[in-house]
Amino acid sequence: MTSLLLEAHPLEGLFFGSGKAYVVLAVAAIILIGLGFWMWRAEARLKSMEKELKSTKNNTSS
Amino acid sequence: MKNTFWKALGVLLLLYVFSMTLLVPLGPGLLEFQDKGKVQHSDIVGRSLPVYEVIGFGTHWDENSDSLGIFVKSKGQLAALEIFEITDETHALVGLDLPYSIPSKSWNVLVNHPIDGTLLLENALFLSDRFVDASIELPTPAVQEFGSNLPFHFPYQPQIVETIRNLMLHVPLWFTMFLLMGIGFVASIGQLSNNRNMEADMRAFASVRVGMWFGVLGLATGSFWARFTWGAWWVDDPQLNGALVTVLVYAGYLVLRNAVDDERLRARLAAVYNLFAFVILVILLMVLPRFSESLHPGKGGNPGFNSYDLDDALRMVFYPAVIGWMLLGTWMYLLTLRMTRINRKLDLLP
Repeated sequence: MTSLLLEAHPLEGLFFGSGKAYVVLAVAAIILIGLGFWMWRAEARLKSMEKELKSTKNNTSS
Repeated sequence: MKNTFWKALGVLLLLYVFSMTLLVPLGPGLLEFQDKGKVQHSDIVGRSLPVYEVIGFGTHWDENSDSLGIFVKSKGQLAALEIFEITDETHALVGLDLPYSIPSKSWNVLVNHPIDGTLLLENALFLSDRFVDASIELPTPAVQEFGSNLPFHFPYQPQIVETIRNLMLHVPLWFTMFLLMGIGFVASIGQLSNNRNMEADMRAFASVRVGMWFGVLGLATGSFWARFTWGAWWVDDPQLNGALVTVLVYAGYLVLRNAVDDERLRARLAAVYNLFAFVILVILLMVLPRFSESLHPGKGGNPGFNSYDLDDALRMVFYPAVIGWMLLGTWMYLLTLRMTRINRKLDLLP
């Protein structure tokens, strides 16, 4: 299956020669960096929520 | 600082993995050895020879073409083919000069070139109209063997070809799922040993929730891989069906948790279910496929990537991929766990 496809449209020419590999890499890198940044922000938000929750709990108990 | 380091390391490793996966070229290989159904006169042997076309992938036959050697080999005997024409870097027309009596009907094709080294296409030629005489000795051709002279590349594998890049996604995603489900298994044991402490239950829930994502992505990447190597999105195979059942069993864990309101009862039921789910995972994905025939590598006599396919070039990307995905999965698990803790505390607030 793949052999027939490759014979008709060699990926080396289609994927690398046309520069599409760089586009795919750029999209993957943006998604990955975006995910990392989003998780880092989520961590900061969780930290502030944990702090807030702790102070609310202390106020309720006192 | 220490807390941030391993998270950044995970993202950086995955950036490296994606770069290498997408940009490292594939090494050369042989795709086809086709009978052209015609004959051409050979000046060397002075008679007409049947013409065959050799089709390569990523080869460099138009460079140093004088040094290109194409052979057929069977039962340890080698015969040189006459090169009529090198059409381009990946195509060559050759003449087959074999006697009527041959040592075997099935032949491998070998191509040797100063840049590509030696390439092999197994059982590429089958001569059904010849007489087989195992005792026959063919004259040994003069061979000048060249090693490959190529930059860093991934190995060419028949059938898999360019899709070998999916190795950096599919396998590490499953490994990460195993890791997370393993964390869940240990947490569930902890929950059953002390049902008053809900921390273990939250750990198990967070790990299964994140592990499910990796399982679904593992299934999706596997299905894509199957489509381009086996020709179907899904095949009836013990490994594939086992993977699907495992993901569905863990989906049942999440459904079960939502069906019970009482916190302690839910924690105990979910922990028992999770223990069984992990045992099912081990049986369906690691034990049963090894006892049955399977298309999937590493199962039922079908060699895995770790035996001979995973060469040093693949290892340089595969191992960082495993570490990178596991670090990312662990980070996701810790975030989900903290979120679960906050939700529980909010629920308990008066």
